[in-house]
Amino acid sequence: MNCLNTYLIIGAALFSIGLLGVLQRRNLIGMLIAVELMLNGANVNFMAFNRFLAPEPTVGQIITLFVMGLAAAEAAIGLSIILALFRRLHSINIERAQQLRG
Amino acid sequence: MMSLFRDPILLAAALGTSLPFLSMAIILIFTRHNQRLSASISVGSVSTSVLCALYLLITLSHAGAPIQYEFPWLLADDIVIPFGYLLDPLSLLMLNIVAVISFLVQVYSIGYMAGDPGFSRYYAFQSLFAWAMMSMVIAPSMLQLFIFWELVGLASYLLIGYYYEKWSASQAGKKAFVMTRLGDIGFFLGLIILVLGFGDLSIVRMNEAGQAHNIPQYLLTISALLIFGGVMGKSAQFPLLTWLPDAMEGPTPVSALLHSATMVAAGVYMFGRIFPFYSMSPEAMGLALAIGTVTMLLSSTMAMATYDLKQVWAYSTVSQLGFMVMGLAAGGYFAGVFHLTTHAGFKALLFLCSGIFIHEYHTNDFRIIGRQGGRKLLIPMVCMTVGALALSGIFPFSGFFSKEAVLGVLANHPNKLWLFAGLLGALMTAYYTFRLIFFMLFPKSAGEVHGEHDSHGAGHGHDDHDKEHHGYIFWTMAVPVMILAAISCVLGFSQSSLEHFLLGQGTVPAQLAASHGTEAHAVAHEGHGIGHYALLLAAVTMAVGGILWAFFEFGRKRATQEGFLRLFPKVEQLFAARWYMDAFLRRFLDDVIYSGFTNLFTRNDRRIIDGGIDGICFFTIGSGRLLSFLQSGMLQYNLLVMIAAVGVVVLYLLLA
Amino acid sequence: MELRCRSHSQTRAEQVVGLKNVSQEGIFMNPLATDSLAQIAFWIVVGLTFGGASLAVFPRNILYNVLGLALALAGVAGLYLYLGSFFIALMQLLIYVGAITISIVFAIMLSRPLHLEVPRREVPKVAMAIAASLVFFLGAVGVCFKTSWVPAPDRSADWSVTAIGHMLLTRYDLVFEVISLVLLVAIIGAVVTAGFTRRLSS
Repeated sequence: MNCLNTYLIIGAALFSIGLLGVLQRRNLIGMLIAVELMLNGANVNFMAFNRFLAPEPTVGQIITLFVMGLAAAEAAIGLSIILALFRRLHSINIERAQQLRG
Repeated sequence: MMSLFRDPILLAAALGTSLPFLSMAIILIFTRHNQRLSASISVGSVSTSVLCALYLLITLSHAGAPIQYEFPWLLADDIVIPFGYLLDPLSLLMLNIVAVISFLVQVYSIGYMAGDPGFSRYYAFQSLFAWAMMSMVIAPSMLQLFIFWELVGLASYLLIGYYYEKWSASQAGKKAFVMTRLGDIGFFLGLIILVLGFGDLSIVRMNEAGQAHNIPQYLLTISALLIFGGVMGKSAQFPLLTWLPDAMEGPTPVSALLHSATMVAAGVYMFGRIFPFYSMSPEAMGLALAIGTVTMLLSSTMAMATYDLKQVWAYSTVSQLGFMVMGLAAGGYFAGVFHLTTHAGFKALLFLCSGIFIHEYHTNDFRIIGRQGGRKLLIPMVCMTVGALALSGIFPFSGFFSKEAVLGVLANHPNKLWLFAGLLGALMTAYYTFRLIFFMLFPKSAGEVHGEHDSHGAGHGHDDHDKEHHGYIFWTMAVPVMILAAISCVLGFSQSSLEHFLLGQGTVPAQLAASHGTEAHAVAHEGHGIGHYALLLAAVTMAVGGILWAFFEFGRKRATQEGFLRLFPKVEQLFAARWYMDAFLRRFLDDVIYSGFTNLFTRNDRRIIDGGIDGICFFTIGSGRLLSFLQSGMLQYNLLVMIAAVGVVVLYLLLA
Repeated sequence: MELRCRSHSQTRAEQVVGLKNVSQEGIFMNPLATDSLAQIAFWIVVGLTFGGASLAVFPRNILYNVLGLALALAGVAGLYLYLGSFFIALMQLLIYVGAITISIVFAIMLSRPLHLEVPRREVPKVAMAIAASLVFFLGAVGVCFKTSWVPAPDRSADWSVTAIGHMLLTRYDLVFEVISLVLLVAIIGAVVTAGFTRRLSS
């Protein structure tokens, strides 16, 4: 249980589940939720390396903190974009947002 | 650039030629709404040009070799095309003609154009013309000459179509532009051939090389013939002559300046400019002689069948231009240029006088003007008669001397046919000129003239204008006319000094005359022989005969004022319709160009060129459409492919 | 397998130290708890995490997704506890579960997706997404096992929050400031993108 690879695999699995959500959800908010999952997978990785390998245990924690801060910013921006898009398209279905189609 | 201010000659040349351009820019940009200021700026700049031109003429009258200022402009390995000024007797003479007549016409226009809504525009175009023409005259290279030649054509187009709201005027402007351009195509092709074969377009070097046989004969002939196309267009020679009569749609001062005195003479001037070059190609000279003769005779006949005051002078201009070309082509460099000089004076005079009548009676028909008492306008009537006498070649007016010189050259030509053609032309010139004069001097009442109704000037008697005669409007028009009349009276006597000036030592034509003993020189000396007096007698007989003939038909008390042409209605119709040249050109265009070539070219364009390009386009569009399936706009698919690719790469690296 | 066991034995020794440190700060976990109890709790936490993650991704109702996300985030916070950082676990609960989930709920309320159509899944799309995720997951796992992870030779044992605060205000000062700036910009940007247009359009 308390082995580096366990945590790495948990992180990779979280990330992959998030990826799956990002790739198949059509609801933009659902995608945003999936992105949060991916970020958490990465965070677990950081914390695991910090726990088992890093010379100073503070560094990984600080990085995780930073990622959380960025995630908060990303969530705020992402949600506001979703709201703007919703007003424009009256939908938060990603497949409706196709203005750039060639 | 520093030398510009140290060298007064260069300064005068630059200032004189470029000031009108400045005034045009100022008028167009700033003073459009202030007519008086626009006119003063334009007249002021052109009077400065006159002063500069006179200064150059006086300073350089004994300079000998031509002075040339050249700045390399176009450089392409060994081809150097300069930009600058060439001041030799010919260009100085022409510069003075242009400057003086421009000045007089602009002063005249103050009165003639008074109250016109486009007054400022008119002066801007006049300045444009003055700039382009003077720059063309002193161009040292054929390319610079060509550039300003085209600019002069532009000014002509703008001024012919000055009353652009009038349909016929705008059409005439287009016609003039297109027809002269037709000749200019040949001109430009000739220049290209010259650059390819000779590698230089400097006028001086061209003339020298022509003399020294540095240019292969065939090349010289081809380029000379092609360049003559430009002369045909600009100076309204035979196939391209019908634009000039139509160009009379412009204001009369414009006709005086551009379409009789200076611009149309540009073709003849250019002929004289590279005369030594031309004279090396007997074929080109022969063709020019034939075309000049045909032009002169045709347009003289046309002038006999019209009742439009300006049309008569327009045909006469064409015929006199043909006469100049004959003189030059027969080898008479001085004779041609001299006739150009005198013609500029008396033809401008005739047009300006006609302008006064037209301004007064609001009609172009000289029968109506005569019937309404045109002869009571004493100053223009006298001046017009002076001009008519000069045009007919009566002693002591200027036309006599120059016609004499040209006829002398023709007499020395081995083929006497040209001489007889010239004499016939002189007869017809005198006849149609005085037909007009007698119509105006001795009008018959309306009842005596068959079927003529006074439709134009009704209710517009000249009583209303009696006061105006003494106003500034009349005098701004009368004074230039009187000056020109005086010039026409005395210019002829300057023949020998002008000849000395033009053929002075150091100029290329002089070397030509010295080394070859051609007609140009021969005439100058042989002119005093016995043959000369016989010729003189013949010419005067022709002129006086023409006048008497006109008097018999139109002038005497019991004259019918019908003219002998009435007896041959078919012929009169032919003359009046300009020998059906316009109709022929129309048919030619319709049948050959439109339905023939144009059709083929259109088909080629549609099928092959458009088809090819369309094919390329369709291919591009099709492939783009194929590729655009990738650009589905579906973010998730893009991301999916990306992630999958990363995963595959990682797996490959792991397993490898 | 040999590598794994070696790292396992090493981390085990250190974990005791770490847990001892944490226990001095008053953590609830009993240092005397048996391995088996801790292991069972660990797997329960992992189960919660993945259950939450599945809930966050698979149901088509967005409210279930948000609740699943909150569950998964709480599970990750538990993992952080096992990874020795009480502080980060607390932050995870505070920021993620407390703030981000709530803002997502707000977005759901504002965009009213419940009233809109809930499109059916497209099988090819889901299949392709699963394939891509699987490829990625396999790749990541492969990397995990194939790399020989070597711990740093001499490792500090200072897990205190004091050390984190010290580091934040000394070595990572600039990053800290930049993050705060990013947050500020994000807030203003969010207000502009979402708020102004709304006010102008109404």
